[in-house]
Amino acid sequence: MTETASPKRLNRGRRSQAGWLNRLLPWAIPGAFILIWFVISETEMVPHYLLPHPKDILATAATYIFGKAGNGAYAGRFLEDLMASSFRVMLGFSLAVVVGIPLGVLSGRLALVSRMLNTTINALRAVPGISWLPLAMVWFGIGLKTTVFLVALAAFFPIFLNAEAGARQVSPILLQAGAMMGVRRLRGTFAILLPAAMPSIITGLRLGMGISWAYLVLGELTGVPNGLGAVIMDARMLGRIDIIVVGIILIALIGRFCDLGLNQLLRLSFKSARRLQ
Amino acid sequence: MKPPLHIATPWPRSPEAPAVLSIERLSKRFETNGAGSVSVLRDISFTARRGEMICILGRSGCGKSTLLNILAGFIAPSSGTVRLNGQPVSRPGPDRCVVFQDDALFPWLTVRENIAFGLKKRPMDRARKKSEVERFLSLVGLTDFGDYFPHEISGGMKQRVSIARVLILQPEVLLMDEPFAALDAQTREEMQNLLLTLWEKFKHTILFVTHDVGEAVLMADRILLFEKDPGGIREDIKIDLPRPREKDERRFFACYRKTMSIINRL
Ligand SMILES: Nc1ncnc2c1ncn2[C@@H]1O[C@H](COP(=O)(O)OP(=O)(O)OP(=O)(O)O)[C@@H](O)[C@H]1O
Ligand SMILES: [Mg+2]
Repeated sequence: MTETASPKRLNRGRRSQAGWLNRLLPWAIPGAFILIWFVISETEMVPHYLLPHPKDILATAATYIFGKAGNGAYAGRFLEDLMASSFRVMLGFSLAVVVGIPLGVLSGRLALVSRMLNTTINALRAVPGISWLPLAMVWFGIGLKTTVFLVALAAFFPIFLNAEAGARQVSPILLQAGAMMGVRRLRGTFAILLPAAMPSIITGLRLGMGISWAYLVLGELTGVPNGLGAVIMDARMLGRIDIIVVGIILIALIGRFCDLGLNQLLRLSFKSARRLQ
Repeated sequence: MKPPLHIATPWPRSPEAPAVLSIERLSKRFETNGAGSVSVLRDISFTARRGEMICILGRSGCGKSTLLNILAGFIAPSSGTVRLNGQPVSRPGPDRCVVFQDDALFPWLTVRENIAFGLKKRPMDRARKKSEVERFLSLVGLTDFGDYFPHEISGGMKQRVSIARVLILQPEVLLMDEPFAALDAQTREEMQNLLLTLWEKFKHTILFVTHDVGEAVLMADRILLFEKDPGGIREDIKIDLPRPREKDERRFFACYRKTMSIINRL
């Protein structure tokens, strides 16, 4: 099946004329932000020990990311921290996906499952993630397990709830259409139900990914030796506010990057993800 | 009464054609929340012969969609049986295909992929499947639109796709629930002609639900007139107009008037 001149493609060509605006627009707010920050720092409206100068932040970031290990407290630690944090996030997030999507889809389609799960899940959802922290520390100690537990727990809810809503909203007429064309239940789940619920599932995954990073930092604040959250906490105790700011900016960038990566991965893997957005 | 006229009919369905679909004493009650149940269909029996075009005409709420859903196997009757070539049917299958009123195409598939959907698991080699898809694309006049997505085409075109994706499965019976009701008058006429052309080519048995008396008289060999409370067949009207039928002919108009008068008598 060749895909020739579909209108999709034509639109894409037209869009590139306004491309420069589209490419610039996402950076307008960060750019303005940095500009204001710069002005505040230059005029010393806020003292530097509360808000470091962007130049200093840039220098600190360069040392943290590219510096040789040993040349100062944080020099060259970035890669190790990044690996440690990413590993924890991926592990926790994957756990949330593996449990959240099947349970969500089942609960969206089967009244029995939804009845069984709803009370429990909505009660648990009302508990702020941070209140699990002390319990997790008692259960799992400080380190990988606690962080992964917190990330998985936090990411589970948006993933589950959106998969459930998506599966529930799939029009019965689509499933009937499948049934009359000879599609039985199991194949219908993969050929019709999941593709039709895909936009919701993707929303859940993206929300879950975002919240994963939030809870990663929470888990790492408890005193693990490495990771971006650990660096931030460490810097607070040493009064290195520049490192805190660098940590925040890096997490923001990584979070955005993960979101884009996740979206891209889904679009590569699923026809419906490519086409229903 | 007009035997010579039958010569003009390209596809005369002889009264002796074998029964394809037989509906025996079908009833349907829906349990309502709380208070008891509501009887929608009561004791319906009729037989559709091979190649027959039956229009089901009736007021809103008299159970036409319910009947079609039972025939399709989407819902179970409260009592009675549906037989296809003598075999009782109870669940949906590609031998009884439905063309829905609302758009029921898969929005993440192109027109071509939608038409190919039902063939996927059929034991048929790739090249053959591909040529079948192209054949049905062209039969419904959508050759140039194979790569479009459902949201990129008009309502009439969507119904063409809906028809093509079931015809390709070679169903015994085609069940159509007000398939053209949402279209404008001109498009509806085009679609009626298309359906008649395809019907003459493939000779399916068709059950066609409609609100539109003119549409019923144009299409039907037989009109089953439904009544409400509870739903049942009030009249079984034979339409023996020759085909092709023209809406501006006197014979057509006479037949239309006759049908109208039967309806108004109810
Ligand atoms: N699942 C259901 N539960 C309860 N009542 C139902 C259900 N489905 C249909 N009904 C009732 O059955 C009656 C017939 O419905 P149906 O949709 O078959 O009518 P219809 O003849 O197709 O009407 P229309 O011409 O408006 O499409 C209606 O009064 C409706 O309220
Ligand atoms: Mg109806």
